[in-house]
Amino acid sequence: MNQLLGQAWIPEGVDLFRFSPELTLVATIVLVLAVPMIMGRSARLVGGIVMLGIAAAGWLTWRVAAEVSGQGVAGMSPDPASAMLLVDNLSCFFKLILFFFAACVTGMWWMGSSASERNAPEFFVLLLGTALGMALMVGTLNMLLIVIAIELASLPSYAIVAFEKRDRAAAEVSLKYAIFGAISAAIMLYGISLLYGLYQSLSFVEVADGIATDLATGRNGVIIAVALLCFFCGIGFKISAVPFHFWCPDAFQGARIEVTTWLSVVSKAAGLILLMRLVHALAAAAGAEMISALAPLAWGIGILAMLTCTVGNLSAYMQTSVKRMLAYSSIAHAGYMLMVVAILAVPGSVGAASAVSALLVYISIYLFMNLGAFGVVALVYWHTGSDSINAFSGLIRRAPWLAIPMLCCLMSLVGLPPFAGFMGKFWILYALAEQGDAASWLYWTLFVVAVLNTLISLYYYMRVVVKMMLADDGQESVRAPAAGTIMVNLCGLLLIAMLIWAQPIKHFADRFSTNLYSAPVLTVDVGTIDQTTAHP
Amino acid sequence: MESSLLSWIVFLPSIGAVAIMLLPKALTRVIAVGTTLTTLVVSLLLFRTFLAGGDPAQAESVFGSGYGFLHYVQRIPWITGEGFTIEYFLGVDGLSFPLLILTTLVMFLSCVASWNFSHWKVNKGRKAYFVLFLLLETGMLGVFVALDFFLFYIFWEIMLLPMYFLIGVWGGVRREYAAIKFFLFTLAGSVLMLVALLGMYFYSADAVHQAMASGGVEGIASGYRPDVMITGGTFDLIELATNQAIQDHFGAASTMLMGFRFAPFAFILLFIGFAIKLPAVPFHTWLPDAHVEAPTPISMILAGVLLKMGGYGFLRICYPIFPGGGHDWAFVIAVIGVISILYGALCAMAQTDFKKLVAYSSVSHMGFVLLGISVMNKTGFQGAMFQMIAHGISSPMCFFLVGVIYDRAHHRRINDFGGLWLSMPKYGSWATLGFFASLGLPGLCGFIGEIYVLLGCFEGRSQFGWAVPMAVLAATGVVLTAGYVLWLIQRVYLGKLREEYAGFPDAGIREVFILAPFGVLAIVLGILPKHTLFNFMNGTLDLMVDHIVSMNRHFDLMNQSYAMLGG
Repeated sequence: MNQLLGQAWIPEGVDLFRFSPELTLVATIVLVLAVPMIMGRSARLVGGIVMLGIAAAGWLTWRVAAEVSGQGVAGMSPDPASAMLLVDNLSCFFKLILFFFAACVTGMWWMGSSASERNAPEFFVLLLGTALGMALMVGTLNMLLIVIAIELASLPSYAIVAFEKRDRAAAEVSLKYAIFGAISAAIMLYGISLLYGLYQSLSFVEVADGIATDLATGRNGVIIAVALLCFFCGIGFKISAVPFHFWCPDAFQGARIEVTTWLSVVSKAAGLILLMRLVHALAAAAGAEMISALAPLAWGIGILAMLTCTVGNLSAYMQTSVKRMLAYSSIAHAGYMLMVVAILAVPGSVGAASAVSALLVYISIYLFMNLGAFGVVALVYWHTGSDSINAFSGLIRRAPWLAIPMLCCLMSLVGLPPFAGFMGKFWILYALAEQGDAASWLYWTLFVVAVLNTLISLYYYMRVVVKMMLADDGQESVRAPAAGTIMVNLCGLLLIAMLIWAQPIKHFADRFSTNLYSAPVLTVDVGTIDQTTAHP
Repeated sequence: MESSLLSWIVFLPSIGAVAIMLLPKALTRVIAVGTTLTTLVVSLLLFRTFLAGGDPAQAESVFGSGYGFLHYVQRIPWITGEGFTIEYFLGVDGLSFPLLILTTLVMFLSCVASWNFSHWKVNKGRKAYFVLFLLLETGMLGVFVALDFFLFYIFWEIMLLPMYFLIGVWGGVRREYAAIKFFLFTLAGSVLMLVALLGMYFYSADAVHQAMASGGVEGIASGYRPDVMITGGTFDLIELATNQAIQDHFGAASTMLMGFRFAPFAFILLFIGFAIKLPAVPFHTWLPDAHVEAPTPISMILAGVLLKMGGYGFLRICYPIFPGGGHDWAFVIAVIGVISILYGALCAMAQTDFKKLVAYSSVSHMGFVLLGISVMNKTGFQGAMFQMIAHGISSPMCFFLVGVIYDRAHHRRINDFGGLWLSMPKYGSWATLGFFASLGLPGLCGFIGEIYVLLGCFEGRSQFGWAVPMAVLAATGVVLTAGYVLWLIQRVYLGKLREEYAGFPDAGIREVFILAPFGVLAIVLGILPKHTLFNFMNGTLDLMVDHIVSMNRHFDLMNQSYAMLGG
C-alpha cells in the first residue's frame, strides 16, 4: 500500500487493455445515462446500448483471456504482492460467463419489460453496476478492493430488487436485503480490520503468509479464527450460505423475474469464486505440511456447505410459488458448489485442480438450467400474472413448448441424465471422491450429503413436473413471445447437448482452472508486472 | 471388428421418436410400430454371427475364447482427460445377446398392444405416449449393450423419466403415487451405484498406477484385449473384471472406501441397487404398485424387460468385478432369493386383483434368479439366465392376458370372473398356455429355468452346506406357484359362465398376434432349450463362472475374504 501511495504510478497501455472489460462497463453506464438525455428515454434505445456495451465487454474479455491464458497472471499494480487487480484465467472465465448472462438477462428484459419500462436508464445503471462489482470481485486479492467490489455489487442490488417502486412487498424485501447486507458488510469489515491490524497489509497474499507463519508458531490463533470467520461471513451473505440466507428467498420472490434470474446465478458464482480464491491463497501460503492447521477451515466450509444444501432443499419442499422454490433451489446449489471449495482448503491437495474445474463446469451448466427455468417462469408469469405452482397446472397442454424445456431444466437441476446437470454434479462428486480417497472423511461425508440431497431435491422439482404434466384444471393456453420460447427451448436442448459434448465443456473449464494467481514471488522488482509466478 | 450395428439398434427408436414429434398425429402409431419392428429386425441381424460357421450347434464357441470376447464392438473415446477415459463402448456377448433380442421383441409386441390407445381411459397425448415409449426403448437397449460403467449408468437413468410419465400419465387411479414411488426407489438404487462407480474408477486408477510404478513401465497389459496397454483408471466393465492388478487392488484388505473394505462395500452398494430393480424382498414394494397402475403395455415392459436389468446387473457387474462378494455372502443372497420366492408366491395367492397377482408372481420368479446366481456354478448361472428370459416371455404374456380381459370387463377382481373359457375359447386357450408357462409346467419355458436353478443348488452342495435345504424350500415355492396359478385358472376361466361376461367377443386378430409369439416361444424354449438359448449364452456364462471361481481361489490363497467389512 505504502508503495502505491508513495509514488505516482501511471498504468501502461497493456494494463488498460487488461482492464478494458470493466472500463467498457463503466463507459456503457455513462452512455446509458447520457444518451437518453439527448435522444429521449426510449427503453429500446437504452436496451440496444446495453447490448452493444455488453457485447464489446465480452469480446474484450475474450481477447484478454487469450492473452493471459498462457502466462496465467497479470496484476494491475506496480507491486505484484499487493496487486490490486488480478487478470488470470479464473477471472476471465467468470467475466465471460458474466457478460454472456448479462446479455441473456437483457434479452429477457427486452421481451418482458421493455414495452412498459419507463425507467430503463436507471434499471441498467443498477444492473451494470452490480455486474461491475462482480467483475471486480473475482479479480482481486486486495482486501480493500474486495470490500469495494462486494459493496459495488450489493448496493445496486438492494435498489434493483425494489425497482417496482409502488410494490410494497418489493420495498419490504429490499429493506430486509439492505439491512442484512449492511450488517454482514460491517461484520466483514471488522474481520478485515483485525487482519489488517495483525499484519499491516491489505494484500490477502501477505496476510495469508502472515497467517501461515502464525499458525505454524501457534500465535494469534483465536484472533485469526475470529477475523477469518467475520471475513467469510460477508462472503457467505453474498452466496447466501446458510445461516446467512434469509434475505435470499424474499429478495428473489419480490424482485422482478429478470433480476431474480440475474442474482440467482452470477451473484452467487462471483461470491464462490472470490471465496475459492481466498481459500486457495491461504492454502498456498500454508504449504503442505500444515494440513492439520487448516483443517478447521476445511471443516467449517464443509459444514456450511452441507447445511446450505440441506436447508435449501428442505425449505423448497412446501413452497407454493415456483419463483420462491427456485430461490431455495439456488441456495441448495450454492451448497453443492461450496462443497468443492472445501477441497481447496487442503494445502497441496490432490483434488485441487479437479475441484476448481468442477466448480467452473457447474457454473457453466447451472447458468443454462437457471436461465431456462426462470425463463419459463417469466413467460408463464407475463401471461398469467402469477408464479404460483397452480399457474403451471396442465402446462403440457397449454404450452407444450414451455413445459418440455421446463422439464429439461428441472430434471437437470436434480442432476438426472441425460441432462447436463448430471455432468455438473458428477464432476463435483468426482472431485470429492478423489479428495476423500486421500484426506479426511469430511469429503466422503460431503459426498454422501450431496447424494442424499439429490434424492430430496427430486421430490420438490417433481411437484412442478407433476403439476405441469399430470394435473390439468382447464386453464387457458399460454401465449408466449416466440423469442422467449426459442430461448428456453435452446436452453433445454443445450442441456442435452452439454451432456453429449461433455468433453469440450470439461476442457473449457480445465483451461480456465489452471495457472491461478495464488501467491506471487515477493522479490520481484517494483515496476514490473508480469514476472509473478503462477501456482497451478 | 468395429461395428456401428449396436448403435443403430439402440438409437433407431430415438430416431422414430423424433419422427413422431415432427410428423402429423395420424401417422404416430404406424411410425411407432414400424420403428419397433425395424429395431427387432435389425437386432435379429445379430444372429448372423452364429450362423456364419454354418453349424448352429457350434454357437457356444462364438463367445468362446475368454470372458470378454465381444462382438459388434464399438469404442469411441467420449470424455477423456489426463489419464481419464470414459468411452462410448458397446458390445454384445452371450449374456447381453438374449436380453437384447428379448427387449426388441417385447417392445415390438407391447407397441402393438398399445394400438388401441384411443380406447384407453386416459387417451390424451398420443404423440407423447409413443415418443416416451420409444425413448424408453433406447434407454433399455443401451443398458444391455453398454460396457462402460459410466455409459451404462447414463442409459440406466435415461429410462427413469419416460417410465415415470408412462405410469404417471396413462396409468390407473393411483398412478401418481405409483410413478413417484418407482422413481424414488430406482433413483435411490442408482445413487448407491454412483458411489460404487466413482470408487471403482479411483481404485482402478490407483491399481494401475501402482502396478506401473512397481514395474517401472509405461502401462500395464489389458486383462482381455491383446496388445492394449492401460495407463489409468477405467470404467470398462470387462477390464475391471479381468485385469489382475485391478482385481488385486479391489480385493486387498487395505483398500478402504468411507472406512469400509472397498470390495465388500461396493458389492453391497451395487447389490442393493440391482436388487431394487430385480426386485428382491425387501426392496420389492414399488413393483406391485407400479404394475397395477401402469397401462397394460407398460406392465408388459416392466415385467418383461425392466426387471431383467437387475439380474443383468448382478451378472455383468456385481459378480465378475467383485467375485468375493458373491462367495462370502452366498448364504444371505440365497436366503433373500428364497424369501422372495416364498413370500412372492404367498402374496400372489392372497391377491384378489388379477394384475397384482401377476405382479407378485414376478417377485416370486425373480427369486429363482437370485437363488441361481447365489450358488455360483455353471448350472446355477445358466438357470438364472434362462429364468430371466423365460420370465421375460411368460410374464408379458400374462400381463397382456390380464389387459385383454380388463379391456372388456373394466375390472380386475378375480373372484368376480368365472367361466371365461366358455365365452372366449381362443383367449382361454392362450391364457392357459401363458399361465402354465409361468407356473413352470414341464415342456414350457418356465420349467427349464427353475429346474436348472434347483440342479445348480444341488451341484453346489459340496461348497455350500445350505444349498440343498434352500433348493428344497425353493421347490416348495414351485408348489405354491402351481397352487395360485391353478386356483386362478379355476376361478377365472373354468366354472359356470356368468351372464355378464357371456357376450364378450373372443380375442381379436391383434390380440392373437401379440399372444402367439409369446406362446410359441414359451413352447419352443421349453422343448428345445439348448438350441434356442443355452447355445447362445453358455459360452459366456461358463467362462464367467470359471473366471469368478479362479478369482475366488486366488483371493482365498491371499486370505482376503470379503466377510469382514472392516479392515
